Amino acid sequence: MIHRGQNFYLTLLVPVILVLLFFIAGPIGHSFFLSFHRIIIGLPQLKTPFVGLENYQELLNDPVAWHSFWITVVFVGTTTFFELLIGILLALLIHHRFPGRGALRACVLIPWAIPTVVSAQMWRFLFNDAYGVVNYAVFGTEITNYIPWLALPSTALLSIIVADIWKTSSFAALLILAGLQVIPEELYQAARVDGAVAWQRFCHITWPLIRPALLVALLFRTIDAFRVFDLAFVMTQGGPADATNVLQLYGYKKMFVEGWMGYGSAISVCIFIIVLVLAITYVRMVGQRLLEARV
Amino acid sequence: MIIVFGIAGFIFLGVKFTWAEEPTRVVFLTWKPNQPEVWDTVIQDFQQKHQDIRIKVQVGPHSSTEYHAIVAQRLKNKDASVDVFFMDVIWPPEFANAGWALNLTSRFPVQEQNKFLPGPITANTYHGKIYGVPCYLGAGLFYYRKDLLKKYHFKPPESWEEMLTQGQVIIQGEDNPGLYIYSAQFKQYEGLVCDMMEFIWSNGGAVVDHKTGKVILDEPAVVNALTFVRDRIIGKAAPRGAINYEEPESLDIFIQGKAVFHRNWPYAWAVANDPKKSKVASKIGVGALPAFSGHSSASTLGGWQFGINRYSRHPEEAWRFIQFMTSHETQKIFALKASLAPTRRSVYQDPEIQKKRAHLKAFLPAFEKARPRPLSPVYPMISQELQRFFSQAIVGRKSDLSEMATAASMKIEKLFKLGAMVQK
Repeated sequence: MIHRGQNFYLTLLVPVILVLLFFIAGPIGHSFFLSFHRIIIGLPQLKTPFVGLENYQELLNDPVAWHSFWITVVFVGTTTFFELLIGILLALLIHHRFPGRGALRACVLIPWAIPTVVSAQMWRFLFNDAYGVVNYAVFGTEITNYIPWLALPSTALLSIIVADIWKTSSFAALLILAGLQVIPEELYQAARVDGAVAWQRFCHITWPLIRPALLVALLFRTIDAFRVFDLAFVMTQGGPADATNVLQLYGYKKMFVEGWMGYGSAISVCIFIIVLVLAITYVRMVGQRLLEARV
Repeated sequence: MIIVFGIAGFIFLGVKFTWAEEPTRVVFLTWKPNQPEVWDTVIQDFQQKHQDIRIKVQVGPHSSTEYHAIVAQRLKNKDASVDVFFMDVIWPPEFANAGWALNLTSRFPVQEQNKFLPGPITANTYHGKIYGVPCYLGAGLFYYRKDLLKKYHFKPPESWEEMLTQGQVIIQGEDNPGLYIYSAQFKQYEGLVCDMMEFIWSNGGAVVDHKTGKVILDEPAVVNALTFVRDRIIGKAAPRGAINYEEPESLDIFIQGKAVFHRNWPYAWAVANDPKKSKVASKIGVGALPAFSGHSSASTLGGWQFGINRYSRHPEEAWRFIQFMTSHETQKIFALKASLAPTRRSVYQDPEIQKKRAHLKAFLPAFEKARPRPLSPVYPMISQELQRFFSQAIVGRKSDLSEMATAASMKIEKLFKLGAMVQK
């Protein structure tokens, strides 16, 4: 009976496995396949020869790719750090009971709900050098001091980072809030009885207990940030002087603008591997933390 | 709008001619033009006159690069659902070599080609065969504030240095901190290549030496032109923000009255003279771009063509549509209502055009001399490298321009060789 039951369950899994194979394993496998070939869509005469690791060798020696990689790392590092920091503060705020909390919780999620392309367009206008609100907020009517945010290599990357922090901090807050809500109220009461002040209660109760939730947020944010594309695509197209040419955008340009399918696929595969390694590392860490938390 | 009209027309006709043959549907892939209403009326008119053909317009992104990605994707998949496509002046070699564009030589013979301006015809020709019919022509033009030049007794500048000197005087005289000397397109995109080529050509430089086939971006003529833009234009004559400007942003500055001089394509004339959009309507003049002293003015050839998908099932109907869209009458409508520069010589001789668009005839010499960007089936790759190099050169982060130029030259030369490999 049990065996037949198990077979039955396995049969039920078949459609799911097929869908996963078709929609996930298939495209990933195809990207790997393409990355081992020299395919230039504007030059069909070259055919599509198998070139082994040539694309990868070229990628390792491509200074533009390395530049893109380091920009992406800076983007991932800063956005993740600030998103978690702001996420914690927001989560603590909306965890408190006060009148209008429901409305505030909904408001906090608005940036996250807006499609990135729309918010990127909005930030592009905010950062405009001549009539952007950011300049007006910082310098008022002193138009000679206005900074062309998107035209300087350093501030262009900063602008994209700010736009991303604005957008996704609330997502981090949501995950951390979930962590906060499972902390039993009794712990805080006991701490108060023992005379612990707010700071001590945070350090000894809240912080250790939200760490698993924080790790989950960290996992999602790092992986998501590594795949940043739309912000740079809408706000700067990778410029000026490649200052915002993040890895995904570089891959997109190689593949769809230049038609260099093999090379573009090699970039995609590299991003896939980086993200996969990150994910495995985090999942192991999170898994361990969760086990520790249970003990 | 067009699609709605198309569908409405389709239903209407379906009722009227239920007994007649189904009209042939021709799909026209394009991008949203600056004056869509003009296109709507022209296409409506075509359908009126050709009841057996219905045009379905599909609209892609406004940016040439993004639009190219979509067209290339659809054509490379031998997608028969596109019949006619709009093609930028830099694409025909790629589209011809890849076998995406139909060879039009039998339909568009040399005697017919001779009725068009030579620049766009050369751009549409690949190995002696023609792959597109020019719709309208683009060339970099120099717009200036007629009223301000008159006030300070200046003639339109002939050299870049003169433009700066005049601009200095005007800005000091006007005492307006929001006024800049120059506005143009310096974002890292296709337009940057157009603008920078004009600076380079007007200093006697080029990307490729035609005799040796070598890439010569590291020669002094090129490096000096780039240095001039980096040190004297960006953040000085032009706002620093110009490094992120495409055509609309740079035109905005000009029509808000915040720049004395402006570089743009012919369409800007209509926008800048429209009192609803522009504060400087009828205060502007237009002419040839300045040059560096001792050299002559140069403008980049732009413009758009019609091509037919090689896998289209209706090439005959598609060709009739193209013939209509590039006829004398249609080009005249485009010139009058959308300020698009005609590609047919005869339109420039038309009395109505000479009366209402007098400036067009004055441009004819410039249009005839407009220079194409490098021709290669791998132009998209070359352009990406040029954009990267030009953007790095003018943002002024790295000071050693000639070293950068040598590296870029080597990279681009490799790409030219790749493109030339298949041509043998």
